[in-house]
Amino acid sequence: MPNYFNSLSLRDQLAQLGRCEFMDQSEFEDEAGYLKNKQLVIVGCGSQGLNQGLNLRDSGLTVAFALRDSAISERRASWVNATENGFDVGTYNELIPQADLVLNLTPDKQHTSVVREIMPLMKKHSCLSYSHGFNIVEEGMEIREDITVIMVAPKCPGTEVREEYKRGFGVPTLIAVHEENDPLGEGLNIAKAYAAGTGGHRAGVLMSSFVAEVKSDLMGEQTILCGMLQTGSLLCFDKMVQKGVDRGYASKLVQFGWETITEALKHGGITNMMDRLSNPAKIKAYELSEELKTIMRPLYEKHMDDIMTGDFSSGMMEDWAKDDHKLLSWRDETSHTEFETADNTTDEISEQEYFDNGILMVAMVKAGVELAFEVMTASGIKEESAYYESLHETPLIANTIARKKLYEMNRTISDTAEYGCYLFNHACFTLLKDFMEKQDSDVIGRGLGLNDYGTDNQHLISVNSSIRDHSVELIGKKLRGYMGAMKKVL
Amino acid sequence: MIIFENATVTIDGRKSLEQLNWEIESGDCWAIVGPNGSGKALLLESLSNNGKILTGVGKNLAKRIGIVSLHEQERLIVREAERDDSDLTDQIFSGTSVQELLDESSLDLKLQRDLTKSLRLDSLLYKGFRKLSTGESKKVLLAKALLGYPDLLLLEDPLEGFDQNSSAEVTALLEKNSLSTTQIYSVSRIKDIPSWTNNVICLDSHRVIRKFSCNNGEDAKRFLSSITRMGSKQVALPVPPEKRPIRLNNDNSLVNIKNGKVGYLGHTVFEDLDLVINPGSHWQITGPNGSGKTTLLNLITGDHPQSYVNDISIFGYSKGGGETIWDIKRHLGFISNALHWQHRLTASARNVIISGFFDSIGLYAKPSGHHVRIADAWLNLIGMEKQRNARFSELSFGYQRLLLICRAMVKHPSLLLLDEPCRGLDEANRELVLALVSRLCTDGNTTIVYVSHELEDIVPQITNHLDLGDLE
Repeated sequence: MPNYFNSLSLRDQLAQLGRCEFMDQSEFEDEAGYLKNKQLVIVGCGSQGLNQGLNLRDSGLTVAFALRDSAISERRASWVNATENGFDVGTYNELIPQADLVLNLTPDKQHTSVVREIMPLMKKHSCLSYSHGFNIVEEGMEIREDITVIMVAPKCPGTEVREEYKRGFGVPTLIAVHEENDPLGEGLNIAKAYAAGTGGHRAGVLMSSFVAEVKSDLMGEQTILCGMLQTGSLLCFDKMVQKGVDRGYASKLVQFGWETITEALKHGGITNMMDRLSNPAKIKAYELSEELKTIMRPLYEKHMDDIMTGDFSSGMMEDWAKDDHKLLSWRDETSHTEFETADNTTDEISEQEYFDNGILMVAMVKAGVELAFEVMTASGIKEESAYYESLHETPLIANTIARKKLYEMNRTISDTAEYGCYLFNHACFTLLKDFMEKQDSDVIGRGLGLNDYGTDNQHLISVNSSIRDHSVELIGKKLRGYMGAMKKVL
Repeated sequence: MIIFENATVTIDGRKSLEQLNWEIESGDCWAIVGPNGSGKALLLESLSNNGKILTGVGKNLAKRIGIVSLHEQERLIVREAERDDSDLTDQIFSGTSVQELLDESSLDLKLQRDLTKSLRLDSLLYKGFRKLSTGESKKVLLAKALLGYPDLLLLEDPLEGFDQNSSAEVTALLEKNSLSTTQIYSVSRIKDIPSWTNNVICLDSHRVIRKFSCNNGEDAKRFLSSITRMGSKQVALPVPPEKRPIRLNNDNSLVNIKNGKVGYLGHTVFEDLDLVINPGSHWQITGPNGSGKTTLLNLITGDHPQSYVNDISIFGYSKGGGETIWDIKRHLGFISNALHWQHRLTASARNVIISGFFDSIGLYAKPSGHHVRIADAWLNLIGMEKQRNARFSELSFGYQRLLLICRAMVKHPSLLLLDEPCRGLDEANRELVLALVSRLCTDGNTTIVYVSHELEDIVPQITNHLDLGDLE
């Protein structure tokens, strides 16, 4: 199947890449009304599938789950979950032909086989929905002409989609209509109603395109999200051990440090994350991040370029065809790194200490987020997309490292993210060698330990404004504003 | 065993107790008493080594501490949420089982067997902790605490939320344990002071106002009752802005459940349940722990997913016929323990009350001046006007409970579902809440469904009774 993006004219490429706008509340006055009395069938009863299904049903829609014959006959977990939650469950053959809207919420890698299987069963003029456009854009899947193809992608994990709905709120959601498949011109109405049915309209809906979603998603996940955190983890750990910091302490500082510092990012952007440092530490982190940005910019640009040309996905699909040979060997390599195998100290590390002793980690997050954002927007992607695929997602990935370090992160993220992460890591690890040579444990592991935390006013003001006036901060402030008051988890 | 001298103790940076002087000897049994917001839970927690001594002396020689408290329960609930990695694995998380939780404390199989037998936990061992009812999860906490062979046992309202049989079993177990263990109880209600208590410490506004020893719990109760003044409450309810019109079902009922059934693979909570709630006829629902009282209320609210596979008519809708959950909640007021756990919010006390107009957890809409005035009237009614801007999460459990009761009542809903509303309330506030419920009953626009184990928490207007124990 040919790469869809590459089949477009430059004009269309730019138009689709540059699509991402915040929709006005008034667009959702009918809420989920457009889908009332239509039959929704969800394929995939995992976290997104089940939780979106619960929300859609609570919004007055008719929802059933289509499972593989074996999942039903063997009463697998997916069957138990759907049944205990009071949903109608049936096989593809039973349910797909009745569906007005099929929600494909299976993992990316299964899309080709799932879509090939269900497409012949779908009734005329029905609608197929994706939550990620890789299959359409990169794999070039062509959907039957009479079928409408849309995307609805809540920008949070499934459990959060449900919890926010129950509160009477929602999570920000991206929607798109595939231009090649909108035969009746109703794609947007369906996508809006579906987004409203999950509660997304209360937290804000972004209208984007399949192309913009895929290109920005790939860029974010392989650079700042997974790549940067993986390379940063390995480099910071090794540096601390080299400088005589206790191994157990170093391991814990890195494993939980990303989660702690990006929690500050989630609430108040890079500005707030940097504000958690003392003034001298903030200036230090700022200087380090500037240096990191200069060194890493060509690498970020290369990743973006390979994503745009389709080289990245064709390389990865070749590996899929070889039973993930590269991917699995890289995964295995990760599991044997020093960081991965170190045991954590049982000593307590306070929340503030993660900042004070993790200045270099803060600098890496800042540099990575800003670079990914800058490179994406320079490549025709809108700021809104770039924000969600960089800054917004970083805490979610940091959380997976806090759970069980890098091996677990790589095992649980999508294949595209994992494959891209390894490519980034191999290049970046070498790229930062000289930079890391110069660093000492004051920026990672022990803190600045100054007697005097005094700062020059003018210098501090210029650093602060440089942080706060960055465009990722300006758009971030606006988008977070739509999310309402951030709730504090006790 | 424990000595505090002129100590100031804080917990998680929250204000705690000042100028604390307290000496606890090995083998003592103390009861901590005081009104809501006096610091009982904080004092109990400061004994669990979570407290930080700011000034003065604090010595705790206990080696193994067992604790049964709301805070401990919350800690486990939060931990379950952290363990839930369904978003990463895309597999739904079934939760830590009761057996696994007990194993964390001790692998002493004999003691495990004895405790599961005397607390009747056998049928729950393979259930996930998150799926337990209030009473069941409290029993598990108690078993977990006792499995650690504590030399100090800290218990917050140990009998609250238990049916009568369970209450008697737990009392027997604790009395036996008191022979070998130092026990400290924090009690919201004087009647819950155990009979073997030999010391009492009274708190008010985060200070100790009295300590005394007694021959037994009955002595203590008599003395405390003599110094506590109670009067019957006359209350007037703030009037809501406008009442939304409600539709009734074809049979003029608010709710009609036919052959109600809830079950999971290999386990039925209840079946063949018929319930018709007519406007103005108020119901009390009772039944042993785990008999499905909360489940039944969740079927009515629509929060239980199996409400969609039951034959339920509610407010003129046939459940699952295209109505949204908000169409139903619009006419409902609701309080339950689960709802309380969901309220882990930094929202202000006032906004929590206002959220009742929007049926949301937290406030996402801008309230009108009218909403604010009504909320302030409720704050006055419960004596919390000074705390109107306080963050909900930083208030004591009892204060939080009062706010959630106001949230449930604020719009004078057509149907008010109260699931153990008085949990954690002191005597005076309990009287106030019962007076409010009674008032709503007589006002005529609100029908009430009330779940409580406490025989003394009676509202005279509630005359219909459903005992889920009878279904079995």
